[in-house]
Amino acid sequence: MHTALWVSKSGLEAQDLALTVVSNNLANVSTTGFKKDRPVFEDLLYQIQRQPGANSSADTRLPSGLQVGTGVRTAGTQKVFTTGSMQPTDQPLDMAVNGRGFFQIQMPDGTLSYTRDGTFHINAEGTIVNVNGYVLEPQIDIPELTNQLTISKDGIVQATLFGEVAPQELGQIDLVDFINPAGLQSTGGNLYKETAASGAPNVGVAANDGFGAIEQGALENSNVEVVEELVKMITVQRAYEMNSKVVSAADQMLQFLTQNT
Amino acid sequence: MDRALYIAMSGAKQNVVSQTAHSNNLANASTTGFRSDYTQSRAQPVFGDHFPSRAFAMAERPASDFRQGPLQETGRQMDVAIEGPGWFVVQGADGEEAYTRAGDLSVDPQGRLMNARGLQIMGDGGPIIIPPFETIEFAKDGTISIRPQGEGAEAVAEVVQIRLVNPDGKTLEKGTDGLFRIRGRQPGDPGANVDPNMSVVSGFVEGSNVNAVTELTQVLAMNRQYEMQIKLMKAADENGAAATQLLSAQ
Repeated sequence: MHTALWVSKSGLEAQDLALTVVSNNLANVSTTGFKKDRPVFEDLLYQIQRQPGANSSADTRLPSGLQVGTGVRTAGTQKVFTTGSMQPTDQPLDMAVNGRGFFQIQMPDGTLSYTRDGTFHINAEGTIVNVNGYVLEPQIDIPELTNQLTISKDGIVQATLFGEVAPQELGQIDLVDFINPAGLQSTGGNLYKETAASGAPNVGVAANDGFGAIEQGALENSNVEVVEELVKMITVQRAYEMNSKVVSAADQMLQFLTQNT
Repeated sequence: MDRALYIAMSGAKQNVVSQTAHSNNLANASTTGFRSDYTQSRAQPVFGDHFPSRAFAMAERPASDFRQGPLQETGRQMDVAIEGPGWFVVQGADGEEAYTRAGDLSVDPQGRLMNARGLQIMGDGGPIIIPPFETIEFAKDGTISIRPQGEGAEAVAEVVQIRLVNPDGKTLEKGTDGLFRIRGRQPGDPGANVDPNMSVVSGFVEGSNVNAVTELTQVLAMNRQYEMQIKLMKAADENGAAATQLLSAQ
């Protein structure tokens, strides 16, 4: 059958996926700590139908051959780890990492996940947990009758109890970093898992050794740019239309062939 | 049998091939750094033990379009686009150097600098390896400087320079993997020379240089041309039918 049908089908699939990525980015425009995705496309294999330099007669050669591409393939999606803007919230347990670094979250199955979302809460036992109730690693318990909670830029958590003057140190929040954050696996819930592509986590102290500072009372906004996504949506839609036009052109050719011979 | 039928058939067949080539360009309208392919047709006389009175159509891909694609701002520090002509050198699957315009770079856990297709980027002295860094900067001439992990701004160091080459476009050929190579280069031959006049810009990727309007118009033009070939086949068929009718009327 007509190869252009399959080539443009691959184009349609790629644009379809691009639209899914755009719409997921747009849907997460207000998600704290969200990092936008972008699709990565690559051209599929080329088929050599006629080798350049083949003989066109006994002593002449073709100056150029014929190599026809077979369409486009989505190589993957790539997370773009640019820093989002900071939004002050004045909530004592809201934290943002100003620079490189991830918070560690202890999952119910005992493994660690990593997040840039610093919206933390206290559970019934007084432990600092994320929105899903998973415990922040290293675990920090806040005593009852806490009046003031301060988190320093390097992650030291201090509580001042009612009736006391001197604050008491509860623990220190560590950050981790990866050599290739784009290689992390997104698991939903603003969480990432370590992979072979991201490299092993490198644990360190905030505001030291290249880690970003922890800002208490602020959250990191999503790094999605609405204008950029809408412009992408326009190009995706038009590219989709043009690829589907090729499908219908190829279809018409086959139809013409069957009706006129 | 009238050979016009076969000539029309070869025309229709080549129309399909060239339409596939155009639809491949269109399918890659969003592929980073993609270079659009040209198609052309050639009249190829049929040689043999007879007078070459017939010429069949033959579709060809003479070259790719090397014009600059649009620079798309991403704001990502490790997206690098080449301004003007020129190429990044990457290591192809065969270990030999190949050229690409896709500069959506990242660093893998071993520190190897690669683009989003997973091809290693070459520097002055082979594949680029970058030590752990906190910030990375790409200078206009492709020099990479990093602030090593855990060190202050005073420790910013130049690591390596990306190899940027600008071989003559006439010598380049797109391989089956979509990468460009110098035509006729044998493994081990010296590659293209570094061109000091090239400039890169960080925070941008270069889009595909496919002109979607041209490609779609070409697809539709091929569609109509194909219909004309089929009409000719139909005419040849009718001629044959008429001849049979006249001869059988005797």
